[in-house]
Amino acid sequence: MHDAAKNIRRLARRFWRGVREWCGDAAYERYLRCSAAQGEGCRRLTAEEFYVQQLNRRYSRPNRCC
Amino acid sequence: MRAAQIVAILPCFWVSRVKRLGRILVWVTVALLGAGALGKIALDRGESLNAIWFVIAAVCCYLVAYRLYSAFLAARLLALDDTRATPSERNDDGRDFVPTNKWVLFGHHFAAIAGPGPLVGPTLAAQFGYLPGTLWLIAGAAFAGCVQDFIILFCSIRRDGKSIGQMAREEVSKRGGFIAQLAVLAIMVILLGVVALVVVNALKASPWATFTLAMTIPIALLVGVYLRFVRPGRVLEGSLMGVGLILFVVFAGQWVADSPSWARVFTLGGVPLAFAIMVYAFAASALPVWLLLAPRDYLSAFIKAGAIFALAAGILFVRPHVLMPPLTRFIDGSGPVFAGKIFPFCFITIACGAISGFHSLISSGTTPKMILRESHARFIGYGAMLLESFVGVMAMVAACAMTPGVYFAINSPPSIVGATPDAAAATISGWGFPLTAQTMAGLAHAVGEQTLWNRAGGAPSLAVGMAQIFSNTIGGERLLSIWYHFAIMFEALFILTVLDAGTRVGRFMVQELGGRVWKPFGRTGWMPSVLLSSAIIVGMWGYFLYQGVVDPLGGINSLWPLFGISNQLLAAVALVVATTILLKMGRTHWIWVTLLPMAWLVIITMTASYQKIVDANPRIGFLANANALAAQIAAGKIPGDKLVDTQRLIFNQRLDAGVTAVLASMVVVLIVEALVQWYAILSSRRAPMLHESPYVPTQWAEGYSGVAQGDD
Repeated sequence: MHDAAKNIRRLARRFWRGVREWCGDAAYERYLRCSAAQGEGCRRLTAEEFYVQQLNRRYSRPNRCC
Repeated sequence: MRAAQIVAILPCFWVSRVKRLGRILVWVTVALLGAGALGKIALDRGESLNAIWFVIAAVCCYLVAYRLYSAFLAARLLALDDTRATPSERNDDGRDFVPTNKWVLFGHHFAAIAGPGPLVGPTLAAQFGYLPGTLWLIAGAAFAGCVQDFIILFCSIRRDGKSIGQMAREEVSKRGGFIAQLAVLAIMVILLGVVALVVVNALKASPWATFTLAMTIPIALLVGVYLRFVRPGRVLEGSLMGVGLILFVVFAGQWVADSPSWARVFTLGGVPLAFAIMVYAFAASALPVWLLLAPRDYLSAFIKAGAIFALAAGILFVRPHVLMPPLTRFIDGSGPVFAGKIFPFCFITIACGAISGFHSLISSGTTPKMILRESHARFIGYGAMLLESFVGVMAMVAACAMTPGVYFAINSPPSIVGATPDAAAATISGWGFPLTAQTMAGLAHAVGEQTLWNRAGGAPSLAVGMAQIFSNTIGGERLLSIWYHFAIMFEALFILTVLDAGTRVGRFMVQELGGRVWKPFGRTGWMPSVLLSSAIIVGMWGYFLYQGVVDPLGGINSLWPLFGISNQLLAAVALVVATTILLKMGRTHWIWVTLLPMAWLVIITMTASYQKIVDANPRIGFLANANALAAQIAAGKIPGDKLVDTQRLIFNQRLDAGVTAVLASMVVVLIVEALVQWYAILSSRRAPMLHESPYVPTQWAEGYSGVAQGDD
């Protein structure tokens, strides 16, 4: 019973994380992790700067279809 | 081996055997169930058929195709290699190249490829009856559409996420690459014009629908400002707030429709609506992307996911009866929705639900840069297209579940059925689909519209079908009008997302091409260039839209086949590139996998192009129509005030013929280029040179699923 509840909680957490990844909520956190791991010399973007840059890049190539 | 050892091994041996046998039995059962359901929908000639058979047939066929054919493609043809590092691992930058969980990327990819095409195409093709369209949706996806998406995705993964145009340039020839790029731009222009026409036909003379869609713009602006300044990047909460507001305006639309003064403001004819949409797309393309375009896209993605899920649940819950016959008399080419025989026009009309050339742009765009392992390409490339095909089957069910008379009344132009409701009802009843003018008036009233006659384009008839399914699930007759306007809003939002995103991408293409002639024009941030290129691209598709709106035959009759032809031509281009790459990889033995669908697409697109240009029937052939109109002018049958309009109509028909001819010839040139390559490779005159990125072994552990450490 205890295990089942734990499994359900884990699944729910995974699902929630999947949804945040899918819609782009988690993009900035990912960027921070990535730039921390790479130890980039250049200045780290703020959440707002990153959001705008990301959108500009995404909508300059075909990303929606018929 | 001693007896004791044999006794110890035996149980393991038998358990694995029994498990294997069990798996085989399950798959045999799925296959038999699918075959039985297909047989039922193909051979049933009873009163009416339950839609659940469509769902069973489609799902079982998809499962078998995925289990067997895609596994064969993955293992034998492409030899996917999970020890090889993908572009997302090698170039991980947290921006473009982002290792993404398989399920999340499936969601991304599906949201990108699923557009209005699989909803509108099958709805229009329902005029042939439910059978041909359904069979092509299932078979076309399994053997052509999914194969294209999967293989192009694979090819792009092996080339660091290069686009289809770049791959055509490197693997086929420089000229081939240029043609592919030009074809993409031309096809995009036609696509945008046609889908805009679908929106215009859905919104014209409908204050409720026009108000709802107009309100999505301020809602998007609000969400855009929220996501930029208030809570940067918090897409989920911003979008949910926006979706809540949109659902409210769908509901509030009825108050606008009921108020005479407000209803007048939002009751627009075809031409003003067309211009309003052009202005909107221009603004969305030229304004900063965070303000309007991106938030609308978020809203659309959430509503799209919700509506598709709701439609599937509704069909399963209501299990409507399909009232359309399996085949109608219109397979002879005399259909009122669009003219042309079942071959090739059924395939051209269905387009995206079975195979869509546009998907090759997505499969060679964002997705390959985010994929975690090569083996995921099977699930994402092949699997997402199967789901798209299923959306097409659901659209077919929704269109065929309404009374056929009503279907034809909504989708036929007045020049075919008659201008007055009584005359039109008599014509449609004469075809064997009983209908009265009162039925249509009652239905229009029930869905909160002034009229449902002459709404060609597929969106309103699909909305009626969806609303009937939804209202049978929740709310009954009372909520029919709300559901109808929810469905219209969903389709229109969907289409406007394609329009604004497409216009912006088209703007970049125009700037890139213009930049070759005059450098400053190519600077994407330079305002005069932004405005001019946006105006050029909107002007180009806007011309097709305007032409469709003023066309007395309804526009869809000319333009949807043109869209289908161009889309399928692009698919042929993608398959030419895929075949060339496979030949270079030495997969000659299995080359039929891409060669056969490519040959089929070339046959249907060339036949359709030929017929659309030179067929003697004015409803099919562009030139015959132009000549017939010219003859009417010469005979003095056109009144003076209609003379200019008719002359413009003649010009438009000739333009359409020219565009079709140019598109078809571009693809022929590309195929000839590819044939020269293939001959050189097969006859060993030229050593095949692949432009794959070099092999780099992956550093990730076997079970790595894109989850950052410490997250779980």
